[in-house]
Amino acid sequence: MPPTPNREDIAATWEYLQVGITKIMINLQDGMDMGTYMGIYTAVHNFCTSQKAVGSSRRYTNAETHPTAESNKTKPSTAHLLGEDLYKKLIEYLNNHLEGLYEQSKAHTDEALLAFYIREWDRYTVAAKYIHHLFRYLNRHWVKREMDEGKKHTYDVYTLHLVQWREFFFLKVSEKVMAAVLKMVEKQRNGETIEHNQIKQVVDSFVSLGLDEHDSTKSTLDVYRYHFERPYLEATKSFYEAESKQFIAENSVVEYMKKAETRLSEEEERVTLFLHMDITGPLRKCCNTALIGDHANILRDEFQVLLDNSREADMQRMYNLLNRINDGLAPLRQKFEAHVRNAGLTAVTKVASDAEKLEPKIYVDALLEIHTQYQTLVKNAFQDEPEFTRSLDNACREFVNRNEICKVGSNKSPELLAKYTDVLLRKSGTGVEEAELDATLTQIMTVFKYIEDKDVFQKFYSRMLARRLVHSNSSSDDAETSMISKLKEACGFEYTNKLQRMFQDMQISKDLNTGFKEHTKGLNLERQPLDSSYSILGTSFWPLTPPNTTFNPPADVQADLDRFSRFYKNKHEGRKLTWLWQLCKGEVKTSYCKNSKTPYTFQVSVYQMAILLLFNEKDAQTYEDIASVTQLTSETMDAAIAILCKAKVLIMKPEGKPGPGKTFHLNYDFKSKKIRVNLNVATKSEQKQEEVETNKTIEEDRKLLLQSAIVRIMKARKNMKHNQLVSETINQIKSRFVPKVSDIKKCIEILLDKEYLERLEDDELGYLA
Amino acid sequence: MSADGNTKIKLQSNDNAFIELDRQVAERSILIKHMLEDLGEAALGQTIPIPNVTEPVLRKVVEWCEHHRNDPPSTADEESDNRKKTTEIEEWDQKFMQVDQEMLFEIILASNYLDIKPLLDVGCKTVANMIKGKSPEEIRKTFNITNDFTPEEEEQIRRENEWAEDR
Repeated sequence: MPPTPNREDIAATWEYLQVGITKIMINLQDGMDMGTYMGIYTAVHNFCTSQKAVGSSRRYTNAETHPTAESNKTKPSTAHLLGEDLYKKLIEYLNNHLEGLYEQSKAHTDEALLAFYIREWDRYTVAAKYIHHLFRYLNRHWVKREMDEGKKHTYDVYTLHLVQWREFFFLKVSEKVMAAVLKMVEKQRNGETIEHNQIKQVVDSFVSLGLDEHDSTKSTLDVYRYHFERPYLEATKSFYEAESKQFIAENSVVEYMKKAETRLSEEEERVTLFLHMDITGPLRKCCNTALIGDHANILRDEFQVLLDNSREADMQRMYNLLNRINDGLAPLRQKFEAHVRNAGLTAVTKVASDAEKLEPKIYVDALLEIHTQYQTLVKNAFQDEPEFTRSLDNACREFVNRNEICKVGSNKSPELLAKYTDVLLRKSGTGVEEAELDATLTQIMTVFKYIEDKDVFQKFYSRMLARRLVHSNSSSDDAETSMISKLKEACGFEYTNKLQRMFQDMQISKDLNTGFKEHTKGLNLERQPLDSSYSILGTSFWPLTPPNTTFNPPADVQADLDRFSRFYKNKHEGRKLTWLWQLCKGEVKTSYCKNSKTPYTFQVSVYQMAILLLFNEKDAQTYEDIASVTQLTSETMDAAIAILCKAKVLIMKPEGKPGPGKTFHLNYDFKSKKIRVNLNVATKSEQKQEEVETNKTIEEDRKLLLQSAIVRIMKARKNMKHNQLVSETINQIKSRFVPKVSDIKKCIEILLDKEYLERLEDDELGYLA
Repeated sequence: MSADGNTKIKLQSNDNAFIELDRQVAERSILIKHMLEDLGEAALGQTIPIPNVTEPVLRKVVEWCEHHRNDPPSTADEESDNRKKTTEIEEWDQKFMQVDQEMLFEIILASNYLDIKPLLDVGCKTVANMIKGKSPEEIRKTFNITNDFTPEEEEQIRRENEWAEDR
């Protein structure tokens, strides 16, 4: 190691330094000893601390130019720091070195150029780190001072290396280097294996060159973005534009989708393999446009075909692809919605050949099948995406509420659904297992969700529930409770309030009967009392009406009934009991049949019971006698007798329809396979009538519902514009049914007449308390 | 880095004295730390020449480094700002700095050269404390400086710095 040079002589100092720096730049692999390292450091230190310029700068040179008052703002004069000469020499040296590199680079192209660039870059940056450390004294003092004073274009030594590399080498070769990179990438896209590590290194180099002009401690990606990302994206775009155009022309859409999928995942993999993460977003966008966006219409046109053929995997593929571009899926959703709606309508039409005889189960199953099919599709192919689910819901709502069946009567869907529920919940209905039953009820709720006229369902449901409870032929309390809680969950407390009260009434009645039995026992009656049971049903909760016939019950029944009435009135004073004869039933035991050792038991309605008990007195009764004793209207009586005749309990003479002039004889030869014979069956016409009645009450109830909603809103708001009121009412009521605007207007008129509301100026309505 | 902090390092002063010390201690000098990192394992056996520092000064510096071998590296800017604001010196360092003026300045120069910032700070604070509360004349006397201002210049400076005087 030569002795350190004269510290004041820049020429000699640089001479000495240059030898060391060159060794570092060119020949570092041979190693370096500590003497050389310390020598260079010391030379830099010594030069920077030499006393050469000190004498002249210690003086106050600016004293006279500043008034005293401001002098506190002037910078305290300090010793001049040496180093600028050294810094300039270093720049000069680097420029020469880089100039040389550029000349050498001209000899290389393609992969050789890449290799050259990377090799020189590595060598250069390692050297830069060394020199940075060796020139640390310069960095600590002169450079720091320059930067503190805000001088631009002065960098610490390492950064200086990068800046010079960028200006004097990189900018000259970057295009050529990029061309080589892109050539390699294209080779890889065409299936060749490449040395992708090289590209990674180039990327790293480009990124390192992104220096923030304003703050050298920060880095930006500007250089990389401009010199790497931009051309890379351009090349990618044109490659895929060309490829996809050709491929789609020669192959099916499904094949193309597969190809695009592969390409997209390849490009993503490429990012992790050798690109900078920063390119992920723009690259995806670029690929999405070239591979999907440009062909979106062709893809979408294929969607209907895939739907028609239930090509789930391909639809999933299409979903995934179009999901990557803006607004890619909206047209698919439209097609999907229309398709599901049509599928639903077709399915309904298929089962609706005879709307009158349509089994509720078949109808509901048809609806459910379509729903299940497309819900599965949404789940499997469209990732349960909320928008697709909404399209499915829209379509289902359409075909549930407006289909072939609903043309007969718009209330048909909720009615059939309620009926199916009744079938399921009625004892020995279909004999479904408990677990299966609950699953089926859940499915019912799926359809229920789409029903617009939920009030219609409620009506029918409560009627049928009432019947199940009164006749105690509900299949299981658990199932009933479960169904009600499902409805409550869907529609709220109010919706199921009455239903729950019905259950309560049944429970109360049970206790009441136990009490009545005790009471009767205590009376010590001479005759064995009837084995009777009473149900007390709150008028406002039960959808039941008093009988439309007069009736004179049999004496035994009347006696028991009077006893009960007294017992009840004793307990609850002031309550009025109305007997719903049409729902009463009982059993009578026969003792007259010749053909059976064990006596038959007839299960009959109370009307039938009254008629049959007449035959205890004589074996033949005329129509007129029966009518006068029972007091039944002919309509009710005819129906009751008709069943007795049909079952051959009574024999009518002459044959025909029951009516005046006929005589009825007890049939001693009555025969039946069963010991218990159920004669209490509702006739078709009765059922029909009930339906009609139910439908009639719906319209009335709706008016009340609308009026109460309007009053509720107005009470809260005090006054409101007419239009606002209408739309608010629709909002409140639509969970029950879809009201017509004209109906709402009518109801408003009614309320105006009743002086619940008043007209104010400017189309406003006011609330009158 | 200092997993092998106990590797021995040999320094050679400019008057050819050899001083052996732990690598961890030596690395209090950023210069030596960087060099060891740069040159790597291959250079570890070599003696490190310290051409700018004489044996007595180097020993003094090494003594300081030994004492402060486990100090956390001070990197945060705020911390160095805090240190700048106060002239307080911890007790051990105060005792350490009780040396003649020539040695004091040699230590300052050496710590500047070897890039040992905390030692440089301690040195400069010691000097600052020597100046504190003294008149220019007293300062000149303390550091043996000849006054090379003309009376006019001196008056000018006094006026300019009037604001800073105690009143």
